[in-house]
Amino acid sequence: MTNVTARVLVLDGATVPDREEIGNKGVSIARMLALGLPVPPAFVLPIEECRRFHAAGDRLDDELWDAVLEGVGALEEATGRRFGDPERPLLVSVRSGAAVSMPGMMDTILNLGMTDEVEAGLARLTGDPEFARSTHVRFVHEFGHTVLGADLLEEPGDHESVDAARAAIAEDSGEEVPREPHAQLRAAIHAVFGSWSSRRAKAYRRHWGISEDGGTAVIVQAMVFGNLDGESGTGVLFTRDPLTGAPRPYGEWLPRGQGEDVVSGTHDCLPLSALADQLPGVHDRLLDAAALLEREHGDVQDIEFTVEQGRLYLLQTRAAKRSPAAAVRTAVDLAEEGAIDREQALCRVSVEQLLTVLAPRLAGDAAATAEVVARGVPACPGVAAGVAVDDADGRDGDLVLVRPTTSPEDVAGMIAARAVVTERGGSTSHAAVVSRALGRPSVVGVGEGVTEGLLGREVTVDGSDGVVYAGRLPTEEVRPQDVPGLERLLEWAREVSPAGVVDDAPDVVDLDAGDGVVDAEGAADPAALAERLRGARAARGAALASAAGARAVLDAGVPVVVRRAGQPAAALLLRLAQQQIARRRERGA
Amino acid sequence: MIDTRIDLLVLHGLAVKKAGRPADVAGVLGRAEDEVSSALADAVAAGRAIGANDTYMVTPAGRAWLDEQYPSVFASFRQDPAATETYERFERINRKLLALFTDWQMVPAPGGGRTPNDHTDPDYDRGIIDRLGVQHERAEKVLERFAELEARLGVYRDRLESAYDRVLAGDHDWVSGARIDSYHTVWFELHEDLLRMLGREREEAP
Repeated sequence: MTNVTARVLVLDGATVPDREEIGNKGVSIARMLALGLPVPPAFVLPIEECRRFHAAGDRLDDELWDAVLEGVGALEEATGRRFGDPERPLLVSVRSGAAVSMPGMMDTILNLGMTDEVEAGLARLTGDPEFARSTHVRFVHEFGHTVLGADLLEEPGDHESVDAARAAIAEDSGEEVPREPHAQLRAAIHAVFGSWSSRRAKAYRRHWGISEDGGTAVIVQAMVFGNLDGESGTGVLFTRDPLTGAPRPYGEWLPRGQGEDVVSGTHDCLPLSALADQLPGVHDRLLDAAALLEREHGDVQDIEFTVEQGRLYLLQTRAAKRSPAAAVRTAVDLAEEGAIDREQALCRVSVEQLLTVLAPRLAGDAAATAEVVARGVPACPGVAAGVAVDDADGRDGDLVLVRPTTSPEDVAGMIAARAVVTERGGSTSHAAVVSRALGRPSVVGVGEGVTEGLLGREVTVDGSDGVVYAGRLPTEEVRPQDVPGLERLLEWAREVSPAGVVDDAPDVVDLDAGDGVVDAEGAADPAALAERLRGARAARGAALASAAGARAVLDAGVPVVVRRAGQPAAALLLRLAQQQIARRRERGA
Repeated sequence: MIDTRIDLLVLHGLAVKKAGRPADVAGVLGRAEDEVSSALADAVAAGRAIGANDTYMVTPAGRAWLDEQYPSVFASFRQDPAATETYERFERINRKLLALFTDWQMVPAPGGGRTPNDHTDPDYDRGIIDRLGVQHERAEKVLERFAELEARLGVYRDRLESAYDRVLAGDHDWVSGARIDSYHTVWFELHEDLLRMLGREREEAP
């Protein structure tokens, strides 16, 4: 790390400063650099500068600005480009980075340094005038929205001109997007520091008791381009398959792609093997970097990268999102490889993920031979069957609510129903939002007039595939041995948890029977529950599926939990193991 | 400003919620509970509502009566360009909010598709709460405009603010929970309220 003037830090990986000093994003970049990984050059205005900014009445002082200019100089030197130079333009991103991230903070502005001249230069460099123009328009929009606070109604259209975007912002905010690169940078830094005192950030700190005395760092980083030539592109890499958890890298590669192109899903990406064919050296380097990052973080990583003229840059790494099945498999694999210990593995899988993995599904060939009565958009996963009705409120039995569309009036009916089908609307309709909130399998947008023919019939709704079948189709349980890694994980859970899970036992204290029934929500107070269970030889109840319920079982020293119908033994066991680990940690702390 | 009769308003408020206690309806309308109670009793006497255990519902006759009344009662609102223009803004926020609720509930999975959000990634959740904050600030402006046209609609601003406040405080169910006055619940009711006032059909998001 180089001190430019002691006010701004150019990150070089020689040391990794504290989170409290430069915020979490700055630390992440410094850590990658310290591992010797290729990251676009960046400098940081430390959190201390945010305090000074506010103490000075929301002003950037001249000395700090001089330091920023030196920081820009360091980026120019490292990239061989110049800020505002149309021939070899340097564009930068500006990000906030507090020690604790919070809502309300200005997040990111990309492509600062963009001007009419730079746009023309970029068009020549990339041979893609349309890219240069749309980058310029997006920059103006983003700057107008984020820095100037313009409330623009629409996202930039495909053919919107820069002038039209500028005019819309000037009209709404009363301010112009600066045309000079340094003025853009200064305003952006100003806005990041200022966002520390935004109403939402303040409200968040008040709720969470976070000190007002903190602040945010500002990270200024050179942008790299994946669309410069035939040896450029952009992509994402998962260190393991995020769908199955299989221990092999999975990724997408978009030759001549830039920035958001991969993540946005608007372009058809190639598999990672295409990068191996096209640029084998870059591919090998990327896989080495990925393995290193996974080891360093002890978890599956999701890495964004860009290749600029044959040179690899890592833009970001974070713990990868994964399917529930992949969560089980990767947790077990990482523990068996020694990257994490068994207790960590047990904490890497949530009970909710396990319940999803074990949710009953349509029996093998039942769907293949059944009559399909409607097809639509899958809105909430799961399978349920019942009689199709257009008003389920106040009625008994297994019902499927079928409606042309839903209004707030239908919410009570959706609560009473097992599943929901609508004619109109897609995966973001009100009906879809409500059915997911209630966990009701649902299929939406099956088409005008379709639901009328369903009324009164027994149907099965497959909300995972978006299909409605005639009749009540059989479902089958998923067994632990069907889920790769799960038996192993449960073995470890049995070793950790002093309480076991069984199907039946004598002398059960049943929380769901007789007086003082405790429902799942009623378990909020583990102490009261533990008191009730004290001395019991075995316990059963809906409340025991919750974390508080498992905690009470352990605190009361109950040796055995008897599962109820609908409670998978695996989920009860995982909950007990996780609570036992938490209790040990609390005692150790 | 529209001077809407209380007999119509209580039934309208009830229709937005489908069934409710006088306190719920009073909450939607921003009126006193005893005033609402007595108007509900009148509606029952007129056959426009039925009530049991202090919970009321609109009858089919009440619905027909409402549909008959709306065009004249809200005539000036329907013809006011400010109302339709503000509703356009509402619709745009609506699309963003519904996409956001979906992202909150279902996480985009690598390789396409989505899986239910198990809320194990605080950064992901925080990002969405941040987006909710941005839309909330836009919604406030829209509701200020609506409140200038129909003061009653200002009540939704307070209800949304209170849901948003609970989300910020970490009560995650208040984003889209269906059994409570979550942000989505209140927004959904506001949408229904506006559709009824404007006499429009629900256009569902894709």
